[in-house]
Amino acid sequence: MAVSFKPIQPLLQTGTNAASRWFSYIGLGVGVLLLLCSIQMFINIQQLLKEGSIRKNGFDYISITKSVTNETMGQPEKNLFSQAELDELKAQPFIEDVSPLLPNDFRVKLSAGSVLAFSTDMFLETLDNDFIDTLPPSFTWQEGQYNIPIILSSDFFEIYNVFAPGQGLPQISRETAMGIPVQIICEGNGLTETFTGKIVAFSDRVNSVLVPKNFLLWSNKTFGKGANVQASRVFVKTKDANNTELLKFVDQKNYKLNKDKTLLGRNKMVIQGIFSGLGIFGLLVVLLALMLFSFYLQLVIARSKDSLQLLLTLGYSPSWLSRNVARIFVPVYIVVVIAALAFTQLMQWSFHHFVMYDREELSTPLHWVTLLTAVVLIVLSIITNHRLVRSLLNKLHTN
Amino acid sequence: MQLTISNLLPVYFEKSHTQTSEVWGKEIVWQKGELIKIVAPSGSGKSSLINFLYGMRKDFDGAIRYDQQDVRNMNPEQLAPLRKDHVSIVFQDLRLFPHQTVAENLEIKRQLNPFHSPEKVLEMTERLGIGTKMNSLAKTCSYGEQQRVAIIRALLQPFDFLLLDEPFSHLDDRNSQNAMQLILEEAKARNASIVLADLERIEFFPYTRLFHL
Repeated sequence: MAVSFKPIQPLLQTGTNAASRWFSYIGLGVGVLLLLCSIQMFINIQQLLKEGSIRKNGFDYISITKSVTNETMGQPEKNLFSQAELDELKAQPFIEDVSPLLPNDFRVKLSAGSVLAFSTDMFLETLDNDFIDTLPPSFTWQEGQYNIPIILSSDFFEIYNVFAPGQGLPQISRETAMGIPVQIICEGNGLTETFTGKIVAFSDRVNSVLVPKNFLLWSNKTFGKGANVQASRVFVKTKDANNTELLKFVDQKNYKLNKDKTLLGRNKMVIQGIFSGLGIFGLLVVLLALMLFSFYLQLVIARSKDSLQLLLTLGYSPSWLSRNVARIFVPVYIVVVIAALAFTQLMQWSFHHFVMYDREELSTPLHWVTLLTAVVLIVLSIITNHRLVRSLLNKLHTN
Repeated sequence: MQLTISNLLPVYFEKSHTQTSEVWGKEIVWQKGELIKIVAPSGSGKSSLINFLYGMRKDFDGAIRYDQQDVRNMNPEQLAPLRKDHVSIVFQDLRLFPHQTVAENLEIKRQLNPFHSPEKVLEMTERLGIGTKMNSLAKTCSYGEQQRVAIIRALLQPFDFLLLDEPFSHLDDRNSQNAMQLILEEAKARNASIVLADLERIEFFPYTRLFHL
């Protein structure tokens, strides 16, 4: 027959100092709530800004152009980046990498074919894949292939939707645009070739019409004048777009920096920083509450010292006793953490529904990481509690 | 099980104690079933001896062994089963839970390793005249009543040795003999040994071995 803890429980004077007990419960609840909310908000921000993220792998990507002035007008060599200038950029310690935005060297026309009565002269550019923020796996091309994947600037697309009604053209959604094949007519060297272009992604970072690099190199060779194509825009990869050294260098060279594109990335960083801080604060509150609770526990055991000692004298095993004493508080921990979890869920629902108007990127149920954290917190507090009781009881025995 | 005492002496005792004592500094073996009487005047270390035997204190020289197990080397976790299954005790200062009822005090001990049914416990309390006290708090009972509760509590488990430290100090002759009778029956049922330490010889304890401390 198993030994029952029921006749033992009244021997523990848990009712003493109720205020300290309730403070530690409330403190624990508030701390856990802060921690869980911070984690959930951190994840929310991650999900919300996933698409619009300019920072990739912790880097800023910004475009640099030369300032076109009255003096340099009409002298392309002064407005384009030479290989030497690219090398100089690359050599700067605050610049990780450089990729010129290479343009087409031939005439390109775009037509919507039979779908829309829309045709225009246009340009194509290419950039190293590493510099593209939204790079789908389909963004590849092989010689002989007539389908050209295109990454279009989000801004350009918006501009189209702005002027489309005035031109008698329909406004279209991103999804539709990605479904419409367009004709890309390349002309030069007495050759004309028609390719089928398809938008595979939109870029917030690059204001251009991007095609795979090997396609542009091939087409420049086939249709172009054969001259070495130079870029008027260069993308640089840097740890910090606000680096003063970088800004000084750019000013000195009379280059122009497109910095507003980094703002979103910066805001995200700041917001995540705030929530990380809040999370750490929450963790501290949890630790404080656990400490307060351990003081309460020590008090309970100190007050019940005589009874506990007598139980050991009568033949109760210290490990059985500590296991059962610790177990009294397990439901408390579980209830506190579950209550905090419920509040976090309420917060998430309100945030999703009232602040974010049910945006699809977010979900109303809590993220699994938040749930896992709650479980880990329960397990952690049970283990620390058990160890504390055991060490207190062991001390009792040796006294 | 046998109990071996070798060259035992409290660390705070003079060596000269070993000359007059029949226990301190001697080599003694007690077997199960023996009824041992220890006559111990005040200050001769009676309660110390009982505490040493029960593993409560370790401030002694020499060795105490239950079979091959040295009490000095036993940790709290190992002492628990010894006290639960093999050695029972009635303390001089009784050691009841003052804020629990008599019934609760008894049940706390009984459930550890039940030798008797709850009905048998009730019968024992009635036999010692405290049957009506089952629902009284221990602290409201007289010393005599508390002593009888402590005696019954010691009889609720299996044991090979029963240590009694002045078990009848608060009882009159009639109650003492009554209790002694119950103790003897219970020890016989377990073929256990009784180690009874008291100030003077108790006539109604049919000891088989007598020691002067």
